[in-house]
Amino acid sequence: MLGKLDWSAIPFDQPIPLIAGAVVLVAILAVLTWVVVKGHLPYLWSEWITSVDHKRIGVMYILLASVMLLRGGSDAIMMRIQQAVAYQSQGYLPPEHYNQIFSAHGTIMIFFVAMPFVIGLMNLIVPLQLGVRDVAFPTLNSVGFWLTATGALLVNLSLVVGEFARTGWLAFPPLSELSYSPGVGVDYYAWSLQISGVGTLVAGINLVTTVLKLRTKGMNYLRMPMFCWTTLASNLLIVAAFPILTATLAMLLLDRYLGFHFFTNEAGGNVMMFMNLIWAWGHPEVYILVLPAFGIFSEVVSTFSGKALFGYRSMVLATMAICVISFMVWLHHFFTMGAGPDVNAIFGIASMIIAIPTGVKIYNWLFTMYGGRIRFATPMLWSVGFMVTFIVGGLTGVLLAVPPADFMLHNSMFLVAHFHNVIIGGVLFGAFAGFEYWFPKAFGFRLDERWGKLAFWFTFLGFFITFVPLYIAGMLGMTRRMQHYDVAAWRPWMIVAAIGMAVLTIGVICQIVQIVVSIRNREALRDRTGDPWDGRSLEWATSSPPPVFNFAFNPDVRGEDAYWDMKARAQQQSLERDRPEYQDIEMPRNSPTGFVCAFFATIMGFALIWHIWWMVILGGLGAWATFVVFAWRDHDEYVIPAEEVAAIDRVNLEERRDLVSMAGTV
Amino acid sequence: MAMTATAGHAHADPHHIGVVIEHPGPASKRIVTAYGFWIFLLSDIVMFSCFFAAYAVLSGQTAGGPKGSEIFEQRNVAIETVCLLLSSFTCGMASIAADVRNRFWFYLGMTVTCVLGLIFLVIEFREFADLVARGYGPSRSAFLTAFFSLVGCHGLHVSAGVLWLLTMMAQVFAKGFRADVLRRIMCFALFWHALDIVWVGVFSVVYLLGSAA
Amino acid sequence: MSDQSHAPTDHDLAPGEEEQHSVGTRILGYVVGLALALLLTATSFFIAGTDLVWQPSIPVALIVLAIAQMGVHLVFFLHITTGPDNTNNVLALAFGLLVVFLVVGGTVWIMAHLNANMPPMDQIMRMQ
Repeated sequence: MLGKLDWSAIPFDQPIPLIAGAVVLVAILAVLTWVVVKGHLPYLWSEWITSVDHKRIGVMYILLASVMLLRGGSDAIMMRIQQAVAYQSQGYLPPEHYNQIFSAHGTIMIFFVAMPFVIGLMNLIVPLQLGVRDVAFPTLNSVGFWLTATGALLVNLSLVVGEFARTGWLAFPPLSELSYSPGVGVDYYAWSLQISGVGTLVAGINLVTTVLKLRTKGMNYLRMPMFCWTTLASNLLIVAAFPILTATLAMLLLDRYLGFHFFTNEAGGNVMMFMNLIWAWGHPEVYILVLPAFGIFSEVVSTFSGKALFGYRSMVLATMAICVISFMVWLHHFFTMGAGPDVNAIFGIASMIIAIPTGVKIYNWLFTMYGGRIRFATPMLWSVGFMVTFIVGGLTGVLLAVPPADFMLHNSMFLVAHFHNVIIGGVLFGAFAGFEYWFPKAFGFRLDERWGKLAFWFTFLGFFITFVPLYIAGMLGMTRRMQHYDVAAWRPWMIVAAIGMAVLTIGVICQIVQIVVSIRNREALRDRTGDPWDGRSLEWATSSPPPVFNFAFNPDVRGEDAYWDMKARAQQQSLERDRPEYQDIEMPRNSPTGFVCAFFATIMGFALIWHIWWMVILGGLGAWATFVVFAWRDHDEYVIPAEEVAAIDRVNLEERRDLVSMAGTV
Repeated sequence: MAMTATAGHAHADPHHIGVVIEHPGPASKRIVTAYGFWIFLLSDIVMFSCFFAAYAVLSGQTAGGPKGSEIFEQRNVAIETVCLLLSSFTCGMASIAADVRNRFWFYLGMTVTCVLGLIFLVIEFREFADLVARGYGPSRSAFLTAFFSLVGCHGLHVSAGVLWLLTMMAQVFAKGFRADVLRRIMCFALFWHALDIVWVGVFSVVYLLGSAA
Repeated sequence: MSDQSHAPTDHDLAPGEEEQHSVGTRILGYVVGLALALLLTATSFFIAGTDLVWQPSIPVALIVLAIAQMGVHLVFFLHITTGPDNTNNVLALAFGLLVVFLVVGGTVWIMAHLNANMPPMDQIMRMQ
């Protein structure tokens, strides 16, 4: 009846996950009770859960990412403490638990922190920058978000019901095959990634179509803000790379569930093919994450230097070059597996070549700052911090791209330090910069600068204190994923890294405090004009937060830096007196399709993990029925009358006139 | 992209001296939907390419089991191929009928497409069942694993296509040729034609190359 | 959303959409496509089963025929052309094909080298 599921799935003998799970459960129940008692449930349901507004979905993506960042961060803290104490002892985490923690840490940080964070920012901002009212597929967008949430839910469920994979974040066979991992851990891993992978693919299709087909009048390709270009490149990579992940995990699941022989040691299966296929996805994935961050830095650096982006066209070219070359370097993740000198040499050279467009970008940002009137607001601090950090990470990356060096450093702590160097220094700093930069756009008030700067400095210093020791430990021969060790020379570095982790944690706490303080002082920090940073692109041309229809009129774009151009012209013409008549606006209706679909996906995923076949069929039928019901509805849009549009728009225009007249006097 | 020469705005675009081609604004819903689906199809084809790659790597690993030439029956494959080709044609006819809002020809075209798709599925299912009965199931060898997965993945897509097709017929019956229904019919046609293209790859690489080798 | 659909559509085509033709012309297109596809399929099956042609050329011929037939499908059934109205569709297709080529070609190339240097377990067993 319940497949493999019984009471032994709940780890009564392991206090750490049980207590953690109980605390989280109590917290969730408390929040739910509060929501229900306060009567917020109808509001949440109709305004957020069923929302198809790209801005709301973007915010929900970022919220999911932030919550999961805390989860993945606690895993990191536990690992750092374990390695600091586990010198010639077992530490406090037994091996099977430690292995689950590093697997969960990697999986969560990549799939449920970095991915939703950048997808959320793209969702929130790209339609605004393109000057349009919505994304290409609003309802599918909601489906994509909720499927991602399903994946996150399943990963966290494994904390209390069953176990998580002990195989590392990519579940390499043969360890991940049924004979070596008979438990449900790998199944939790694979099914949550399959489900959230569908969500990511949907988001990718949606954003590619939005950028290519929905741009406002006059928004030619070479007038798009840089963030739109990197969004396009990143989502093209999602569309092309995520199917590879889906196929590879499907093969692993077929091996595990139906006794196939893709990656087994027996009957001619080939373990190496898994490494090959998973990294054919895995390397583009790196650029899926970092390209949007590059876009964010371009926007931030240009705005806070008060200059147009230096070398816009070379930036576009570099972005698209990375988009293509990122598909030609995947073997550098397994140089040591013996493909031989010819293959290794070619992929090594390709890996070095991809550093060139990245270098072009760094120079472009530097030259944008050169001669500019730089304001070191928090987003700009993250950007400058990124440039410093990312160059170090990039250089160690080029080092690893040299096959002979890689033979020494493969799977060492040096590698761990390298990819944290680029992912934290690149993606996470970018996400934080974007968060600080666009927060006023999303919520209508700025974030507290003092706490923001504190958060930056603690994170920045904490990062180096944590990861420089890992580089050194790697040089001293320490391999990754060690539950304990007996080498005295590594010990001091592990202790320093643990101290660094504490500093990083203070940085995260500062950010939480920053949000709380800013919400309390929101009236003082209110952004009335919709343009708090003196921005250059169209998202600043509407109010903060934007009305549901984004723009009362689809803007008419005349050049690069569309909004800057408008402001410059508006100073001469005292802002668009000759407004045409306001018109009715049709917007897509909210729909519970995404939520219901994800509900069935959760049931199906859980049932698949525990081999509860009747429930699988039920979930599948439910998901299909949801789509048919959605396809059957007759009214998919509602009308916002012209008077309402006019009323909303005039308020913002008044504020903006004041701004322009003030700007004229400066 | 409309070609509107607006030399007057050239000052705002320093890289184009003289003529600037202005983007006309957001595309129509029909183009947006079809383009999004087109992108999805490309991603689906990338997924198939992984199974093709796995087949290419594993096709020699028979582990003492049968080779391709010992189990493939060209006659069946030929019938399957003709079925799919004809169904692609009838699917095209159905989409023309939908465009001119002709219900009779639409239903006829879709029904024939559905029947041809079902014949294809039945033949494939019998081939699989026969192989499993002879002890040549997917767990026999890596070659059979790759074969069953690649061909089965295509078969699953065809099954999903048939389910979609029936849903679309029901929708036309209930709602008529509404704009959103027409958009879905267009996407379905793209899907069905794309499956046929994948099948060309399957019968050439798996069946014909396999039995030639 | 629908207020966005007033944009001119005559210079941009959806994938699978044809330029405005009469029904007769459109049907003719499908008939030609079907005939060509059937012809190519028949050739493939004939070549695979015959010993009239030089044997080592068969795999190459089969692949060439398959690519040709995919082209026929793309042109006559999916209406992909090289016109300016199709630029976006063709570019997306080209990117997809590049990735397919890289994944399949790369995998085959890498795995062939891996197998040559480090044969799979059962081959090592057989060698012993």
